[in-house]
Amino acid sequence: MNEAWRYFLVFFGAALVSNILLIRFIGLCPFFGVSDSLETSLGMSISVIFVMTMASSVSWIAWNLVLEPLGVGEFLYIPAFILIIASLVQFVEMVIKKTSPPLYRAMGIYLPLITTNCAVFAAATESVKPGFFTKLNIAYHYGFLEAVVYSVGIAVGFSLVLIFFAAIRERLKDAPIPKFFRGVPIAFITAALFSLAFMGFAGMFNL
Amino acid sequence: MDWNLVWKAVISLASFGLLLGALLAIASRRFYVEVDPRVEEVLDVLPKSNCGACGLPGCEAAAEAVVEGRAPVSVCKAGGPQVTAAVARIIGVEVETGIARVARIHCKGGIAVSPLRAYYQGVSSCRAADLTGGDKACPFGCLGLHDCADVCPVNAIVFDRQGLRRVIATRCTGCGLCIEACPRGLIELVPVNAKVISRCKSQYVGKKATGVCRVACIGCRKCEKACPRNAIRVENGYAMIDYDKCDGCLECAMVCPTDTIEIWVEMRGHPEGGEFVVPPRKKGGKESS
Repeated sequence: MNEAWRYFLVFFGAALVSNILLIRFIGLCPFFGVSDSLETSLGMSISVIFVMTMASSVSWIAWNLVLEPLGVGEFLYIPAFILIIASLVQFVEMVIKKTSPPLYRAMGIYLPLITTNCAVFAAATESVKPGFFTKLNIAYHYGFLEAVVYSVGIAVGFSLVLIFFAAIRERLKDAPIPKFFRGVPIAFITAALFSLAFMGFAGMFNL
Repeated sequence: MDWNLVWKAVISLASFGLLLGALLAIASRRFYVEVDPRVEEVLDVLPKSNCGACGLPGCEAAAEAVVEGRAPVSVCKAGGPQVTAAVARIIGVEVETGIARVARIHCKGGIAVSPLRAYYQGVSSCRAADLTGGDKACPFGCLGLHDCADVCPVNAIVFDRQGLRRVIATRCTGCGLCIEACPRGLIELVPVNAKVISRCKSQYVGKKATGVCRVACIGCRKCEKACPRNAIRVENGYAMIDYDKCDGCLECAMVCPTDTIEIWVEMRGHPEGGEFVVPPRKKGGKESS
C-alpha cells in the first residue's frame, strides 16, 4: 500500500465510513443543538475542524512521549486528554481574541462549547487508539501525520453531516409537516434516515 | 500495590496540569485584550436581545460603538428612553429623553367585520399570502399570519381574537423590526401616550371601503374638519394622525362614522396597560346606517 493511498484511506475512513455523528453517534449534542441554521452550523464546523486537529495532535504527542512510555496511559488517558483539550481551547480562544477579533466574533461563542464536546475527546482518543469507540481494537498504530489526517477526517465528516443536516432542517421549517412531528421529532427521524444512508459506506474500504 | 505506577501517574498528570496552567497564565498576560470597562457597563444596561435595530451586529457591538463615540448614546432604539438615560449616565453626557414609541398595527378589520373572499392554504407567511392577494376581502388589511411576530425579539405581537395581530404595548420596545416585516405596511411606531389611533389603511373610499370591511376608513374627512389642531389628515383614502400636533382632545374619534379611529384608554392593572375602545358617537351628527 503506498503512502498517499494510505492517508487517503485514513481520511475517508474517518470522514465517511465511520462517520462520527451518523455511524458512531458521538457528538450528537451539537448535531441537534446548532443545526438550526446554516450559518451557526458553518461557524461550529470551522471551530470543530480547528480544535479537533489541534487537540488530537497534542494528545498524540502526550500519549506517545509521556503516557505510554511511563505505562500509565491505559488508565490516565481520560483526565490527561480532557485537561489538554480544555486548556488548549482556552489558549486558542485567547490567541484568537488578541490576534483576530473578526474571527473571534465568528467562532468565539462556539469555542467554549467545544471544550466539553465528546466528539473532540473521541477524536483525540481514537488517534492514539484506533477503533476504540467502535470496539474494533484495530491492532494498528497511527504515526503522527496519520493521526493528524485521521482527526481532520473526523472533523470534516462531522462538518459535512452538520452542514447537510442544517440545510435539511432549514427546508423542514417550511415543509408541511404534521403538527406532532414539527421541530425536533422530525429532525430525529431525518437524522435516522440520514444515518441509514451513511450505512451504505460501511465496508467500502477499511484500514 | 505498585507504588511506582501510582507515583508515575501522579507526577505525569501533575506536570501536565502545571505545564498547561503555566501556558494559560502566560497566555492570559501575553494576549490580554484591553477592554474599556465602560463597554461592560453599557452592555449591562442594554437589552441584550441582539435585535439589530441599531444597525450594528448585536448589543456588544453597539456597546463598543457607543464607548468609542461611533454611535450616539441613544443607539438602542429597542431600549427606549430608560436605556438611553442609563447609557448616558455611564458615558457621562446629558441627554433629553423623548417619548417612547411602540409599534401599532393599523388594521381592525377582524373576521367579524371583514369577510373572507377565499381560503388561503399556501405557505404560512404574510409575504406569500400577499402575493395571492390574501384571503380577506379587503386588500389592504392585516393578513393575520405571523411575519411580524416572527421577527419580534420580545414576543410583543400576539393573536387577536378576530384573526388579527395585536401589539402588546407594555412588551414592545419600539425597535421597528416588524415594520419591515409587514408586506402591507400596516405597522407604524406611535408614541406610547397617544390618545387616539386611526386603525385602517384602506385606500378604498366610501362604499367601496365599507363593502369589504365594516370598520374601514372611508376617507370622509370628518375627522380632518373636527380636529382643532390640524393634526389629522386624509391621504390616499385613509386618515393619518400627526402625533406631534395631536393633543388628545378625542374630537376625531367622536365624529368617525365607521369607528375606525379608536381611543386608547389606560387601565391600571391591565396586562397590556390599557385597551383601544370605540368612542361614543357625537349626537346631532348624521348617523350612518
